[in-house]
Amino acid sequence: MNHDQNHQKPKTPTITLRKFTLSDVDSFMSWAADPRVTRFQRRDPYSDPADALAYITTHILPHPWYRAICIDNTPVGSISIKPAPGEDRHRASIGYRLAYDYWGKGIATEALKLTIKAAFEELDDLERLEAIADVDNPASQRVLEKAGFKEEGILRKYVRLKGETRDMVMFSFLVSEF
Amino acid sequence: MDEEVTLRPCNLADVDDLYEYASDDKVSAWCRWDTYTNKEDLLNYMKTCMIPHPWMRVICYRGRPVGSISVTPYTGWDRCRAELGYVLASQYWGKGIATKAVKLTLETVFKDLKDLERVEALVDVENFGSQKVLEKSGFTKDGILRRFWIHKGTVRDRILYSFISTDPFV
Repeated sequence: MNHDQNHQKPKTPTITLRKFTLSDVDSFMSWAADPRVTRFQRRDPYSDPADALAYITTHILPHPWYRAICIDNTPVGSISIKPAPGEDRHRASIGYRLAYDYWGKGIATEALKLTIKAAFEELDDLERLEAIADVDNPASQRVLEKAGFKEEGILRKYVRLKGETRDMVMFSFLVSEF
Repeated sequence: MDEEVTLRPCNLADVDDLYEYASDDKVSAWCRWDTYTNKEDLLNYMKTCMIPHPWMRVICYRGRPVGSISVTPYTGWDRCRAELGYVLASQYWGKGIATKAVKLTLETVFKDLKDLERVEALVDVENFGSQKVLEKSGFTKDGILRRFWIHKGTVRDRILYSFISTDPFV
């Protein structure tokens, strides 16, 4: 709730990125169990923390680059970088998700900016970061644009999402733009 | 031209005909693979990749294999889309054969591959011949993917084209 009298935009809280631990499972559920957050994700919302724990163990912990987006060291979302398969080591894609109560505060944009910096500094040979957003997800498209990604085009019938084949917008950020 | 271009599954006896273009530097120039220098390697590729492939055809001109065309689906959630690839012997370029092969492919592949809704093709920004083939076959340009792939050691931009199951055949 913003009580600022001169109508300034609320400042984005300070956010940090860190690796997940198993004790983050409850925080993880705050977005992973929420259908408003999983609406544009392939998976259904989690209902059982045991499933979430299994996902953290088998997918997040061994992942090459998967971070918790934290406020005061408490995870409110996650962001991950996935290198392209095979020969294209210069290319990687970014995905992110944020708990609903933290939307609209610039947090995802800030997390993305931190991730872009980390990606180009840590990943050898990286030249291209890419991300896709559903055509009906303008909030995510804005996050990418504000973080400096450029729209490349609309990919028709690109992915299957919850029983429907969706058009996606492709964005990229090049090392030359960093 | 129409009756002269046909598609059929690959068999190992095609190795001599396919080797004619697989050993041609002009043909491999735009491909990820290096020019073949012996038939054993090509035979191995045919056995391990072409014959078991989910959708692979030899392009025949007047009954003789002069190229190949494939549609390779992605897996899992992404199997609604597949990547088109084709290669044609250089002495047959410029006759509309590749365009005809692509059109014949689009006419059947959506029925042949379950769940397929999108066929996409990625073409180098300077491969004007292939861009024309796709445009004449009814593909739409989705956009340019910048610094998208490494081709023979160099990072290059690629144009992404698509043809979806509801697009009109041309």
